Amino acid sequence: MAGVQITATLTARAERWARKRQGTDHRAIRLRSRRIYILPTGVGAVFALMTFAMLLGSMNYNNNLSFVLTFLLAGLGFVAMHQCQRNLVDLEVSFAGADPVFAGQTAQFRIAVTNYSKHRRYNLQLFADAVRGDIRDLGPGESRVFQLGVPTRQRGLVRLERYGIRTLFPFELFRAWAWLHMDLSSLVYPNPADPAPLPPPSQTAHGHRQHDARGEEDFAGFRQFHDGDSPRHVAWKAYARSNELLSKQFAGADTSSQWFDFDRVNDDDTEARLSILTRWIVDADRTQRDFGLRIPGTEIQPAHGDTHRHRCLEALAMFNATNRIKAAA
Amino acid sequence: MKKRNGTDGSLLASLPWTLVALTFSLIPHVQYMPVWITVSFLACAAGRWLIEKQRRRLPPAWLRVVLALAGFIGVFASYESVSGVGPGSALLAVMAALKLLETRQRRDQFVLLFISIFLIMASLLREQYIWSLPFLIAGMMLTTTAWLRMSISTEVSICDTFGTGGRLLLYAAPLTLAMWIFFPRIATPFWAVPIDNGSASSGLNDQMSPGDISSLSLSDAVAFRVNFRSSAPPPRQRYWRGPVLHRFNGRTWTGNEATPDLRAQDSIQVSGEPVEYQVTMEPTQQQWVFALDIPYELSLEEAFMGPQQQVLRAQPVDRRTAYDAVSYLDYRTNVDLSQTARSWWYLRLPDDSNPRTVALAKQMHLVAGSDKAFISDVLDMFGKEEFFYTLEPPALGSNPVDRFLFDTRQGFCEHYASAFAVMMRAAGLPSRIVLGYQGGEMNPMSDYMIVRQSDAHAWTEVWLPEEGWLRADPTASVAPERINSGMSAARFGDAGASWGLRAPAQWLYNLGLTWDAVNAKWNGWILGYGPENQNRFMQWLGMDEPSWRKMALTLLVSVLVLIGGISFLLVRRYRPPQKDEAARLYLKFVRKVGIRTRSGETPREYAARIAAQNAAPATEVNAITDWYLAARYGPPDARSLEALQDAVRDFRAISSGRSNNHPETLQKAT
Repeated sequence: MAGVQITATLTARAERWARKRQGTDHRAIRLRSRRIYILPTGVGAVFALMTFAMLLGSMNYNNNLSFVLTFLLAGLGFVAMHQCQRNLVDLEVSFAGADPVFAGQTAQFRIAVTNYSKHRRYNLQLFADAVRGDIRDLGPGESRVFQLGVPTRQRGLVRLERYGIRTLFPFELFRAWAWLHMDLSSLVYPNPADPAPLPPPSQTAHGHRQHDARGEEDFAGFRQFHDGDSPRHVAWKAYARSNELLSKQFAGADTSSQWFDFDRVNDDDTEARLSILTRWIVDADRTQRDFGLRIPGTEIQPAHGDTHRHRCLEALAMFNATNRIKAAA
Repeated sequence: MKKRNGTDGSLLASLPWTLVALTFSLIPHVQYMPVWITVSFLACAAGRWLIEKQRRRLPPAWLRVVLALAGFIGVFASYESVSGVGPGSALLAVMAALKLLETRQRRDQFVLLFISIFLIMASLLREQYIWSLPFLIAGMMLTTTAWLRMSISTEVSICDTFGTGGRLLLYAAPLTLAMWIFFPRIATPFWAVPIDNGSASSGLNDQMSPGDISSLSLSDAVAFRVNFRSSAPPPRQRYWRGPVLHRFNGRTWTGNEATPDLRAQDSIQVSGEPVEYQVTMEPTQQQWVFALDIPYELSLEEAFMGPQQQVLRAQPVDRRTAYDAVSYLDYRTNVDLSQTARSWWYLRLPDDSNPRTVALAKQMHLVAGSDKAFISDVLDMFGKEEFFYTLEPPALGSNPVDRFLFDTRQGFCEHYASAFAVMMRAAGLPSRIVLGYQGGEMNPMSDYMIVRQSDAHAWTEVWLPEEGWLRADPTASVAPERINSGMSAARFGDAGASWGLRAPAQWLYNLGLTWDAVNAKWNGWILGYGPENQNRFMQWLGMDEPSWRKMALTLLVSVLVLIGGISFLLVRRYRPPQKDEAARLYLKFVRKVGIRTRSGETPREYAARIAAQNAAPATEVNAITDWYLAARYGPPDARSLEALQDAVRDFRAISSGRSNNHPETLQKAT
């Protein structure tokens, strides 16, 4: 256990040192050999021991052919070391975006890696702390987007202060890597609560005006039926004619727009409220219903569409987010 | 539900290469290993491949344990030991077979590849032929390929992997060479572990019965090679002295186990010219060390001289061994031989054996009148009477000397030597048998002498007062051509055929000699690159007083330089190519036009401007501009770049339009 702790301490120190040495990186970086580190792996250590044992054997028997084999292995080790480091040099690494996710899901950071040289780069892998990406190659002149999935637990911003690209090529005797400090982050929406009924219309209309179902409002036209529309508004006659479900729209009573109000969620806990609001937004968005969001300090007018959904969810994610900076996994 | 323990086929890409590499590394061991090991390895390899292919289960743990126990017991039973190269490589093979049965992950294959490398190493410890080097390289090639294959993605072709492995080995080659040359060699081993290379002791034995040497005569194997520093002695003086036998039981001659005798060296008195030479002995697993007659000096560690001036080494000669020696062909030894030694060692004959020989000797001694006359009479008897020299003498039964001298009269050197020594003893002259080699042929393809097992010979030494031990070779009387031109030459003549020797075609024989010359160089320079050779080579390279410090320093420097070179090669390899060939060509075009581009001017504006100034043919300028734009900004297409190249090359500006009126800065067109 002590060994693990020492390793962890050393790693943390090395990381701090590298950060201090390299500074913060731009969003697109050409990997220079200055920032590529290399250390032997466990297999490399075993290989070195084996080669040393063979050297002793060769010396003992003064056997010049086994000297050849021993030195060939040693030479191969040296070559592998340089090849391993060179496998990373002059790659271009750039941030290619990350999509927001709900808390509990895995945030996928997209990192584009480009190989401008005429030779193939083998077995490249992105990593960050405990996270490992897929191992992939880059052909000559090829550019590929690598995904780095970072698990999330809490809403807010998931931060990726540091990630790395590494390779074990050719013989897994050495591990070469580069740390990149791009201070990336991605938005994490609150985790949607269990499916919950939308708030009753009584709570939704602006000014608490109750919708009168008896239809005093002026008929304003038809629109496509969505889940949640009242069956009383369905144009059944039109349905009989065209087999198309349409809802009657009435002016003066926007029945499809709802307000989701933080203060009116029936729960004491802030996070639970945010979760329920998230659920409502997700469901409302799925039914293409207009909705507005009101949380302390923010009010978003009813609308629909992906941008609106994102605006609302972002507001929820970042609600009182000053204390959520460390939300990263 | 997924079957428990079923393989997932993830090794399908890498396993075959691991198997190929392992099998290849095992090939040189097959002839030394019990058949069951080879068979079980192949069975395990094939079985493992099928398991992976058909996604079956690996054998259960208890079965693997049972197989492992059986394997180790089997190896122990076959070799009765677990140390040494033989059992070691057998154990490696068994381990590889067992490891295969539990290889589940990619990483398990590391163990298999390391075993493969150890198997190559073991085969090199066992034998170092010329083909061992290509074998080593091929084995490493396969191993690196398998190694790379283990982690490489499936989209990479095997040719690509092979190329990568080859490239890495090629980079490693100069490093290997530098380390091999400069790594300081030491003379003495740290610990002595005998290398059991599976071969029984070969060459001369330390006893002699009829038939012993004639069986050797059929072997073409090299016993040792000799480089003479001075001129080689004539064939009839090429006696390579080995074991000395003095005890006779009526049929078999044996000697004493030799112990170092410091007085033996002192009792030699030499005269005449010394012969200096170097002997490179093939391993015999015996202690005998051969030199020209009685050596005056011999530079071999742990070698000593026995009481009968025979030379031995404390350790059996278990690998090729080279030593320098000096011999004088004129010498006298043991001028005073004690009465005890005479009667107890050199005059004893078993009672009641070979009575007719004893009677004949006594009678001839009486007739001759003197010891010297008696010796020459007996030698003459072998020469003049009807004795035959043959490799296939008839069986002799009891009293073999009697039967040989009076009945069969057909024999090989051991028969003559034995009969002669018995006759000497019967007449009261101390005598003993010497085993060794007689002859040796100079290799015309190179400047050294080959002594083969077929040159094995037996002769006698007779002691006379005042003169000491004298060599007497009755075979020389019977078959003088054997002594004068050697065994190898004799086989081409009629004599060879009559001895039952095969006579290979002359060209084949010459080919063999050439091959032997190559082998001798290989042995001398590659295998024999020890402390002395290294010292010599360092001096040749210009190092004064080579020491291990200097060599280690040179090693370090050369390795660092080579690593720097490899690093540079790799830097160049992965440097992005010169980005803008098109821009370079366009700049060349601008230079040819002679009018500089203005800053911020697009190529089309530039083209229009120079066309307006009538500095160049408009069509060509427009074509070049189009190609340039296509090559630089269009979709990647080698054609437009080629066209641009051609167009720029063929472009000629109108000379009158060349003007220096536009001193704008020369700038890269964008």
